[in-house]
Formats: sequence, C-alpha cells, structure tokens
Amino acid sequence: MNAAPPLATAGRRRVALVGRANSGKTSLLMHLTGSLQRPVNFPGTSVECVEGDVRLGATTLCIVDLPGIASLEAHSRDEAEALRHLTDPAAAVDVLCVVLDASKLIVELRLLAELRRLGRPMLVALTKIDVATAEGFPVDIGRLQQALGVPLLVVNGASGAGIDALRQRLAGPLPDVLPPVERADRAAGAAARRAVARSRTDRIDAVLLHPLLGPIVLALVVLAMFQLVFAVAEPFMGWIEAAQGLLGAGIAALVPAGTLRSFLVDGLVNGVGSALVFVPQIALLIGFVTVVEASGYMARAVFLLDRLLRKVGLSGRSFVPLASSFACAIPGIVGSRILDDERDRLATIAVAPLMSCSARLPVYVVLLAAFFPPHQAGLLLFLLYLLGVVVAACVALLLKRTVLRGGVSMLAMELPVYERPRLRVVAAHTWHAVRSFLRMAGTVILFATVVVWALGYFPRPPAIHDRFEALRAETPAGDDGEAQRERLDAQEAAAYLEQSWLASIGRTVQPVFAPAGFDWRTTVGVLAAFPARELVVPTLGTLFSLGEVEPSPDVPDPRLTAALRAARDADGRRTMNGLVALALMVFFALCSQCAGTLAAIRRETHSWRWPVFTFAYMTVLAWAAAVAIYQVGSWLGYGPA
Amino acid sequence: MPDATTLPPAPHLPPKASQDVPTEPTLASAAAGDLYEVLGVDGDDPLARRLQAAGVWPGAAIELLTRAPFGDPLLFRLHGYRLALRRSEALRVRVRRVEERP
Repeated sequence: MNAAPPLATAGRRRVALVGRANSGKTSLLMHLTGSLQRPVNFPGTSVECVEGDVRLGATTLCIVDLPGIASLEAHSRDEAEALRHLTDPAAAVDVLCVVLDASKLIVELRLLAELRRLGRPMLVALTKIDVATAEGFPVDIGRLQQALGVPLLVVNGASGAGIDALRQRLAGPLPDVLPPVERADRAAGAAARRAVARSRTDRIDAVLLHPLLGPIVLALVVLAMFQLVFAVAEPFMGWIEAAQGLLGAGIAALVPAGTLRSFLVDGLVNGVGSALVFVPQIALLIGFVTVVEASGYMARAVFLLDRLLRKVGLSGRSFVPLASSFACAIPGIVGSRILDDERDRLATIAVAPLMSCSARLPVYVVLLAAFFPPHQAGLLLFLLYLLGVVVAACVALLLKRTVLRGGVSMLAMELPVYERPRLRVVAAHTWHAVRSFLRMAGTVILFATVVVWALGYFPRPPAIHDRFEALRAETPAGDDGEAQRERLDAQEAAAYLEQSWLASIGRTVQPVFAPAGFDWRTTVGVLAAFPARELVVPTLGTLFSLGEVEPSPDVPDPRLTAALRAARDADGRRTMNGLVALALMVFFALCSQCAGTLAAIRRETHSWRWPVFTFAYMTVLAWAAAVAIYQVGSWLGYGPA
Repeated sequence: MPDATTLPPAPHLPPKASQDVPTEPTLASAAAGDLYEVLGVDGDDPLARRLQAAGVWPGAAIELLTRAPFGDPLLFRLHGYRLALRRSEALRVRVRRVEERP
C-alpha cells in the first residue's frame, strides 16, 4: 500500500505520460492540453519531448510526453532519458499516467508491472480498445479494472472520448497503488491465442508486404515523396524568392547605394531568404514522413528494406533519415534519432549528407544546361544522384567495418495496425520540425551568408570606383547610354569581387583545385559554397560580370550558361568545358558544403568529432573524385582547348 | 585407455552434426500460418531482454505471418500484435509447434 497522503489539489502538478512508442501518448497529450505544447530538450542531450499545461480550477497540470519505453531497461538514448526523467527527483513527477495500448495488452501489462516498482502514484489510460476488437482480441474492461489495483480510464486518441474524465482524475486526489487482485494477464483474456478472422491490417499487409507488390508500392511511395518535395514545393519557393526580391528592392529604394545597402540586401535579406527558401520543402517532407509514419506504413518500409540496408552496414530504420536527406540533410540527421543502435545511428548521420540534397540541384542544372545536350543531361543528373547513394553505401560499409565495428544492432520492431493519420498530429510535428530547422540551421546559414558577403564585399579599393566613374562619365547621357552603364555596373561589381578577400583566398587556394581543372573564379564559387551551396550560382553570376543571377532548380539563367561557355583564361584557353563541368558537379555531389548540416551533426552527436570527420572525408573524397575525372578526361583528350 | 584424439574416426559413424543433441526448432524455421509456443530465449543480453519486453516469453503463442523479400526479416503475430524480427533474432527463440495452419 502506498502510504503517501494524497496531495492537495491546488497548485501545480507534474504528470508524466509513460508508455511504449506508438501507444498513443502524443495524441493523448494533444487532447489533454489542447494544442498549446512546447518541445522541450532534456538538458545536455538532443532528446526532445513535448510538454503542455492545462488548468483545471486551481490546479495546473504540467504534462510531459516522455519518449517511449518498452521496459525499465534502456536500449536507446531516448529510452535512457525517459527513464532518467522518471527516477530523477529533480524532475519531480507527481503522477504517472501510464498509457497502455489495448491491442497488445498482455505485453503492456508487463511494463505496467515494472512501472509499479517505481512506487509512484499512477493511473492507467487505456487506448486503442477499438483496434484490439478489430484485430480479434477484445478486452474485458470491467474485469481488467478490478484486477489492476490502479485506476483505469478508457480513452480514445482519435475522437478524444474519455479525455475529460482522465483530465479530472489527473487533477483530483492522487490514487493509491494497490496490489493486483488477480493475475492481470488472465483478466486481459490471455486465452485468445489466435485471431479468429483476418483483420483489415492483415488484408492491407497481404498487398503491401507481398514479395512482388510490396517493393513496387514502396518505390511508388518514395517517388511520391520526391514529387512532393520537388514539384509541389516549387511555387512556394518561388514566392519566398519573390518576396526576398521585393524586400531587397524596397530596401534599395530606401537606403542609398553603399555598404549598408549591400549588407542589408546581399547579406541579411539574402541570408534570411537562403534559410527560408528550404522551409516549404522541409515542411512538405516532414508532413509526408509523418503521414506515412502515422498511417503505419513507415514500419513496413523499414521491414522491406532492412535486409538491403544491412548489407551496407546500416539498418532498415536508416531508410527514413536517408530518404529525407534528398530534400535536406538537416531533417534527415535529426530524424536519425529513431535508430536505437548508436553505431547504426552514427553511420547513418555520417552518410546522410551524401544524398543529393535540393540545394545541389541549381548547380547541376546550370552546368548541365551549359555543357550537355538535354538527352545527356537527364542521364547525368540521375548518375549524380546515384553517385551519392553508391558512395554513401561504401562509406557506411567502411565505417561499420572499422571505427563503428561491433555491437549487435536489433530490429525487433512492432508493425502497428494501419490507421488514418490525424491532421493535428501531422500539423504539430511539421511545425516543430520547421521551427527547430529555423532555430538551428537558419541562424547558421544566415551567419554564413553574412560572412561570405563580407569576404566578397571588402575591401573596396577607391581606384576601382574612380575608374568606373570616369568610364560612366564618357557614356552618352539619357537612354542611349543606359545599356552601356548597366554593363559598366556589372563590370564594376566583378572588379570589386576580383579585388575582394574572397577572391584573394580563391587565388591562393586555386593551386589545390588546379588538378581538377578549376580556374580561380570557379574556385571562388566553390569556396563561397562551403557555408551554403545556394551561394554558388549568385557568386558565379557576379564573377562573370552578369549582375544579379538567381539560382533556379529548373530554368537556368541563359546569360550564365552562355558566359560559362564563353569564358576564357588569361592564356586564351576555355575556362570550362564539359569535362570541367563534370568534375565540378561531382565535386558538388560529394562535398560537404553546408554549415547547417555540420551544426546539426554537432548537435545530434554531442561532439565535434563527427562534424569534423564528415566534413573532412567528404571534402577529400570530392576533391579526389574531381581530380580523377579531370585528369583521366584530359588524358583521353576531353580537356578544354 | 588410448588417447581419444589419436583414434581414427570410425567409418560407420554418421557425420558430426547429427551427433549433437538434437537442436530444438527456432522461430527462424517457422512456417507461415502455423502456431508455435515459445519455449525460451537463448542468452542474456540486451537482445534477449528486448525480446522479453516485446512479449517473447515462455508459454507465449506466436504465429509467423510473412517474410520480407529474400526471407529476412520475418513478421510474427503474438499477444494480438505484429512483431518483426530479423532471422538472426528469430534464431534465438526456441519454439514448439502447437497447431497447424487452420
């Protein structure tokens, strides 16, 4: 018998939602608190959970949704944090709300029995009664309630039925935990050993897990995801870019030309835009992944792919983070938390940035359009994506054979019943992901953009200004000279950039890239891309005296493609041709050029080792591949003439 | 008594494998649709405990639903829910067949 006297109902009460993953805790929290929740980080870890407050009379319930646990033994970092939170006096949990899934009640009761040993006041919220009935294993609530010795409330995570009663009970006098009066598993109806009829989930699985149809459906789902991330996100990204342009023009109208305007437009607005432009893709991607996850299909995808991914040293669970990384590696790296084996997780994180993310696409598109006929361009684009996947497989295998060797990764995973995803859950997940992207990557990308702007802007020798002022003065006044003056403006911008610190760094570093066929301008573009790839197209635009050039994922700026084709070195040789472009694209495909990704890796691995390692191996690999392509190509006679 | 290692293998004995104690069947060799009873889980490591927590304990009734393409992993039903196990994980679970496919 629990001797602790019931606490007064006034004041603040901390409630922990405890249960397995998929037991319906998150939707329960949403119903309990309305939608006002905040993601909270466990101190010193990246494990995130959600909490929310709800007032009932004089009592405020502060409800925290802990990561799912299957027993009092932790197998993953999420589980370890959940258990620490339960036993840590500092967390001051007043009452446990144990969320049990009625559709696997017998297993759940084992967890309940373990949780009773914590000696905390607790009550049970029983979810998914309808699922248990549909699956052919109905639950005798009355008998179970009597047997448990713990208050039992039936709730429905979909409709919200029973939530009011649960809320009242949580705010009311704390329950005593009585010893069970009957073996709960008997009360739960352990006699039913085999389902009588095929359930809806069985019938769906017959198709989705079919040896032939299953993989086909999976391929279609992945295709749908790509379509969503690239085609559907497109207009939204266009709007963000248009808004960025309008804002820049607005500032230009208000602020006189000079350092301040350039900082505001090219540094700040461009930096904010560079981060914001990914939001539509990330929101759509997370929304899609959440829908697939909540429907129950994600576990099937993991089931179908486990063997294949294990062959390259990963796990079926790596599928979700890796697929996400084709849009952006950052949500992919964060999503690797679902991998419970630490070695699998690190290997997945280390190769996720090799998946060709959407920021690489504008670079490919410009270079392909400039140097390859359309029928070759499509194939090359596919090969560039494939290259990332193949290299990722090799790196993962190598890592698992060396530094990440050993350990036993486990699958032992539940395949939940199919359910209709709930809009509120999907919306909340998506919102949290976007917010965390903006907070983490957004600031890093903004900062990096401002740094690259400063390096490309300063110093501004007055001699250049004077020279171009003199040239401008020579042009005929009025409309006749307008075109000439515009050309002079672009040449002036290029002249400034050629004198900038960025260009000095580019010239200094160029010998490193010379074996890959990059001239100093290409090198400057490559360097500008290191903090964030989206900077390369505008930088090349300025370098080739074109003025403003916007990156585009489908229609490249024709002026840039023409300038790239026409550019010649000081010795009259063409700066670029198909071979140099190919080397450059392969460099981009393999190189780690995203400060946001490295920040995400740092955060998710709690050390500098992995971001430094990832940056180093990818950059070295990218350089080596670019050099190999250029050298072999030149030897075969494809070099620029 | 001569040293056992010096003796040549008796030609009439069957191959070594069948000399061992007959191994109990494991979940890895389960047939789809048949119902099995769990006899025990080999070992005492995180995997064994994880299987415990998932309901794979002696006496539990378990049924193979299907296998993924190329036969691994395997999908089982026990206690009314679906559990996916790799072949290597299923090999740890000793079982006895109690019911043929209905």
